[in-house]
Amino acid sequence: MMSGGDLNPAAVPLPVEDRQGDGRWMSQGGACVCVQHTRFVQECKDGEPEVLFVGDSMVQLMEQYEIWKEMFSPLHALNFGLAGDTTCNVLWRLQNGELENIRPKVVVLWVGTNNHDHTAEQVAGGIVAIAQLLTNRLPKAKIVVLGLLPRGEQPNPLREKNATVNRLLRSWLPRLGQALFLDVSNEFLHSDGSISSQDMFDYLHLTPTGYNTLAKPLSDLLLQILEETPEERRASLV
Amino acid sequence: MSAEASNPAATPTPCEDSQGDGRWMSQHVRFVSECKEREPDVVFVGDSLVQLMHQFGIWRQLFSPLHCLNFGIGGDATQHVLWRLSNGELDNISPKVVVLWVGTNNHGHTAEQIASGIMEIVQLIHNKLPNAHTLVLGVLPRGRMPNPLRQRNAEVNKLVQDALSSLSHASFFNVDPGFVLSDGSISHQDMYDYLHLTAHGYQAVCEPLHAQIKSLLDKPAEN
Repeated sequence: MMSGGDLNPAAVPLPVEDRQGDGRWMSQGGACVCVQHTRFVQECKDGEPEVLFVGDSMVQLMEQYEIWKEMFSPLHALNFGLAGDTTCNVLWRLQNGELENIRPKVVVLWVGTNNHDHTAEQVAGGIVAIAQLLTNRLPKAKIVVLGLLPRGEQPNPLREKNATVNRLLRSWLPRLGQALFLDVSNEFLHSDGSISSQDMFDYLHLTPTGYNTLAKPLSDLLLQILEETPEERRASLV
Repeated sequence: MSAEASNPAATPTPCEDSQGDGRWMSQHVRFVSECKEREPDVVFVGDSLVQLMHQFGIWRQLFSPLHCLNFGIGGDATQHVLWRLSNGELDNISPKVVVLWVGTNNHGHTAEQIASGIMEIVQLIHNKLPNAHTLVLGVLPRGRMPNPLRQRNAEVNKLVQDALSSLSHASFFNVDPGFVLSDGSISHQDMYDYLHLTAHGYQAVCEPLHAQIKSLLDKPAEN
């Protein structure tokens, strides 16, 4: 199994650069002036989240829609999504302050669709490396890894790649005892292989309708994890 | 002397499919289809600030009732919008108003080039839709603190506002309600990544914009 280390470029931590010159967080290479990261680090000092969401724009955009207020804020969730992030960027952020001072019970990880320079195997390895880091830092937390959604209106190579990443994750993640995999990809594919703009307005990013499709199973899973007490877990093993 | 040949911001250019899933072209083709199927009174065209507006409740609340179409594509710069409008996105429709909001993604271009690109789009719209009024929205400030792109965007707005002042078929509209606070910062409550608007940010932009569009729609048609 490919995982971290210098063999896998998708598992090398990399800060995101500010190439456009306005001090935001842009995933395009350069020296780092990462104001959103700074804000997230501060949120770690101020907040006591039970759930931490981390990843790319798929995570970030979720917080802008009503669904976040309805289903995830009530769980005391923080959102550390940044558009454009690759596994390398998320790894860097988590190693540089975005896990300090917090003890979430669950981390939801959703990243990988922006790793354009890496193979499916490398991307899956990068995701596993992040999950491993999370487990090392938060030994009691459950890690919910979300499958990469299909993208593009019609079948195309990136769909194949994302599906391969998901296949690998399904087989590699169980080796990390605390990791769970949730993949709702099939919900977005119509019988003719197309994706609707009602679900993904640009055939990548989700509409509010698209997020609803994901939110129900995710919320159910989170509630299950959060409501499980050690006593209940022991009882269920009998 | 024509500036277009030497101005990349004013040269119609499709977006390259660098990622490999053809999404930009899929969206363009969808918009061209919508032109054949629908009869909008208002068409919004531009970048992600236009596109994302469609995803928030405010769109259904304020703009759907005005029979609007949304032709925003994230990442688009003036040259991409110019290409799209030259290749079908203004065909088969006769909107009364075209709302144009683009310019912030023209990286590497000067304020003059960007402003020229915007004016090139205004001219194209007028050629294709002589009865439509084009409302050009000011490019918003961006970045958490003062930075060169804020200056560039402000300069673009000034140039465009000047150029539009002599036209009757187009006008400039400032939608910035004062996002830059007294300490020079922009709040993430208004722009969650200091570029894209939150629902709260869109509320502040869309209410005056809606009023402006309504007043244009309610004007009797000019001869």
